[in-house]
Amino acid sequence: MDRRACVRALTAAGVAAITAPVKASPERLRIGLTPVILADQVAFLSRWGRYLSARVGCEVSFLARESYQAILDLLFSGQIDAAWICGYPYVRHEPDLALLAVPLYQGQPTYQAYLIRSRNPAVPLNGWADLRGKVLAYSDPLSNSGWLVAQAQLAKAGLGPHDLKRSFFAHGHRNVAEAVAARLAQAGSIDGYVWETMRQQGMAAVAQTDVVWKSEPHGFPPLVTRRDAVHPFLPQLQQVLLSMPEDATGRDLLNALNLTGFNEGASALFDSIRRQAQTVPGSGVVA
Amino acid sequence: MLWRFPYRVQIPLGLSLAVLMTALLVTAVSAQISARSARLETLATLDRAVVLLVAQARPLLAADDTWRTFALLRDTAALIPGAATGHARLAVLDAEGQVFAASDPVQLDTGRPLLGTTWHNQPLQASREITGTQRLDQSDGAVILLDPIRSEDGQTLGHVFMEVDASVFAPDWLALAKTALIGMALAVTLLVPAGWWVGKRMTRPVARLVKVIERIGHDTPGNLRKEVPRTADPEMKRISDAVLQLMGELEQRGKAEARALSAERLAAVGRMTAVVAHEINNPLAGLLTATQTLRLHGATDDIRERTVDLLDRGLQQIRTTLAALLPQARREDRPLEPGDLDDVVTLVQATAGRHTAQLITRVEVESALRVPSAPLRQVMLNLLLNALKAAGENGQIEAMLKADAERVQFCVFNTGTALTHEQFMESLAGESGLDPRGFGLWVCQELASHYRGGFELDRTTSSGTRLVFWLPNTEPQETKA
Repeated sequence: MDRRACVRALTAAGVAAITAPVKASPERLRIGLTPVILADQVAFLSRWGRYLSARVGCEVSFLARESYQAILDLLFSGQIDAAWICGYPYVRHEPDLALLAVPLYQGQPTYQAYLIRSRNPAVPLNGWADLRGKVLAYSDPLSNSGWLVAQAQLAKAGLGPHDLKRSFFAHGHRNVAEAVAARLAQAGSIDGYVWETMRQQGMAAVAQTDVVWKSEPHGFPPLVTRRDAVHPFLPQLQQVLLSMPEDATGRDLLNALNLTGFNEGASALFDSIRRQAQTVPGSGVVA
Repeated sequence: MLWRFPYRVQIPLGLSLAVLMTALLVTAVSAQISARSARLETLATLDRAVVLLVAQARPLLAADDTWRTFALLRDTAALIPGAATGHARLAVLDAEGQVFAASDPVQLDTGRPLLGTTWHNQPLQASREITGTQRLDQSDGAVILLDPIRSEDGQTLGHVFMEVDASVFAPDWLALAKTALIGMALAVTLLVPAGWWVGKRMTRPVARLVKVIERIGHDTPGNLRKEVPRTADPEMKRISDAVLQLMGELEQRGKAEARALSAERLAAVGRMTAVVAHEINNPLAGLLTATQTLRLHGATDDIRERTVDLLDRGLQQIRTTLAALLPQARREDRPLEPGDLDDVVTLVQATAGRHTAQLITRVEVESALRVPSAPLRQVMLNLLLNALKAAGENGQIEAMLKADAERVQFCVFNTGTALTHEQFMESLAGESGLDPRGFGLWVCQELASHYRGGFELDRTTSSGTRLVFWLPNTEPQETKA
């Protein structure tokens, strides 16, 4: 097989892995991805899948969906074995979910939510209270930084949904940045890790936005499994994830993700999200 | 300007200019058509884009999905002329006519009320008043398109709004001119040489005819006939036939002239022979008497000596007379010599004696004589006999042969009744050469014309008649008849 054919085959395999209908199998581990990371790079996911497969002992593949709920549906229906979701859906479905690993961002299992605004010309906006009459972009209804934090902060600023001129979901943190950069929205609620990673990668949309507010640290979006998961290779997967910083390839992959590693995590890490959700009506998290 | 050029340049140049002007005209018309077509094509593109947006935005409006609507508009804008440069914008409006999403949120910010307001000096109807596709053509050429988005049950979900600035429709004359100029340059490069070639080809027979006509009189008709172009073109064929006919007529005329001149020369010789025979006959009677005297009284020395002298003078006179007559009858020619005038005078001397006229001759030759002797001798003879007749009894004739580097001139003046210009012209007009005044002035005129010289009446002479005949003092240019 020549080089082009090989590249075509690998690309096809990667695309198929991300988009094809899924079916659980003990010989394969499928991990669902949400927009908590910049997970739309087929070549990277293919490389990461090969890395994990070689160390876990079975084939590991990824599939991505724009919606958090779609990934949760796949997880709860048993079509995928693990999912990288946000802390808010973890808190919301904690009785049914178990932590597999929590990423370490800048050495810590935490991240911040950002409020960003359009730049050039700068929108006169310096905090949540200034959002009255403005258009605000959210990421996803199940995103902590992309919705829950905003709801809590708007409430704290005394603003209700009707005080905004308009709001909409952009189906991903990256899209939030692009919507604000294009001035489709004047402000956006975004995952700070994603925004920083976009800036690190020199994405144009970030250059057109300013961060006007940062939240307290929250538990980083974790990788979870169903609490009743019985896949025999899940423990190996957890070990491989935790040991990624120990080899060069793993570190290289972590660098590409703008992460420093994984740890086992703990439920208490998401207490701040839990508390916040409890203040937001309709969040699905009760005290 | 064009008409100052020769005909054979005018035609190719005219064809080339016609090609150039045609190319310019076609270019201008093509540019105009292109400009109009470009606007129609742009409008057709906008119509298709609106149809696409209406279909694609319907589920997005129903799902209240601003982001995906924005993505749709952004992608569709890539197909709209002028959108990339900010001269066209698309938006999906909600049911109230507010901007739901726009391809250019900076101009059409999200949530902005649009329908029922005035946008860019264009009043827009309220949402409920828009029942179908609207195209609002603005005075500056800009266009606004509005099309409602309806659910399957007819409920208005929103509208597609599309605005294209006038500058998008403005013809890009520079680009059009560039393309047109390339086309024109190609056309000119190919067609102008072709036009020039065709023009040259068209005028080539004319140029050949001109050369043939120029050579008439300098070359034999046989050679010239071969060079007359034969073409299928009826007009050119008529011209060629006319030239051939002209050449034929000139040839016939030349032959007739030659015959007339030859006949006239022989007639003159005949006339002179009669005179000279008389001149010879007179001494012959004396000579016969002298021989009789010599026979009877030849024993006496004195008488024998005087008789022999008489015989000698008589024979000398006969010889002189015959010597003068002989060249007149010769056909072969040679250049004129000053002595030829003496010969002619000798021939006419007897006539002069009969009229008791006084004949004075003068020769002023400053240059070598290069004119043929035969025609000059005939002219001198004709003019002298004519002058003797015109001068009448006791008249006076002055003949002068004059030559310089330019011409050889023979003038004859007689003191007879003055010949008027009209009478002179009437004499020349006599086609038969029968000059009522004597020897053929017409022949002199024909010889002058034949040898490219002149024959004229000196109108400055106050009394008497002075005729001037001249030929260019050059080598003969053609074979004379």
